[in-house]
Amino acid sequence: MIGVLTWLVGALCLALAGWAAWRAVRDQPVVLHQLFGAGVIEAVLVVQVVAVAVLLASGEGVSDAVTLWGYLVSVLFVLPAAAAASFVERTRWSSVILALAALTTGFLQYRILVLWLA
Amino acid sequence: MTAPSPRRASEGFGRVVVFVYGLLALAATARALSQIATRFDSAPLAYSLSLFSGLVYIVATVALARSSGRWRTVAWVAISIELVGVLVVGALSLAAPQDFPDETVWSQFGAGYGYVPLVLPVVGLVLLWRTRGDRVPGSTH
Repeated sequence: MIGVLTWLVGALCLALAGWAAWRAVRDQPVVLHQLFGAGVIEAVLVVQVVAVAVLLASGEGVSDAVTLWGYLVSVLFVLPAAAAASFVERTRWSSVILALAALTTGFLQYRILVLWLA
Repeated sequence: MTAPSPRRASEGFGRVVVFVYGLLALAATARALSQIATRFDSAPLAYSLSLFSGLVYIVATVALARSSGRWRTVAWVAISIELVGVLVVGALSLAAPQDFPDETVWSQFGAGYGYVPLVLPVVGLVLLWRTRGDRVPGSTH
């Protein structure tokens, strides 16, 4: 369950990062459709948080729950921060920020999966 | 890059720098809090440094985002502390690894974070230097 969600988020993040990078190369700012995409990723992240909470509550064990929760909560802030930046920065640099945010969110999925399996 | 350099340190490319600072602030602070909450006694020096670096990144993020008047001075100081911190802690973590049994954001010159902690202060200082003209409104820069 958690594995599927982390892979799903990772794949979506790579797609969004590629889209944002493509627009950055073409000197274009973030568009609203990309923020919808980021919203979908956020929704999956929330599902992930709920799933981890339910599984831990029902007896599933991890070796470092505090750090896992640190990652699960921290990652929720990354894409919204990039979205906020894209409203005030109407240049290609908002696309760079969104690409970095998506890559970071995707990379953190790897850390979350490792912590979940530990 | 063909675009003219931005007038303010917090706009254009500078906003990317502010964003990456925010990421590091989040990463360093969250990591330090979880380290301190779960196992402070096993590496008090490393975890205290983690928290300190997180707080400096928070100050630098806010100061760069404002980047006018007195905030520019705050940014200069915070980013300089970071550069000194990553160089000193990076060197110490190699010279005296027994004092750094667990990672901090500055250990091994920030290798655990893709050396971003080493590169970012340099980028930040260059950004502040290149936009120094807007310190005084209406200056001739």
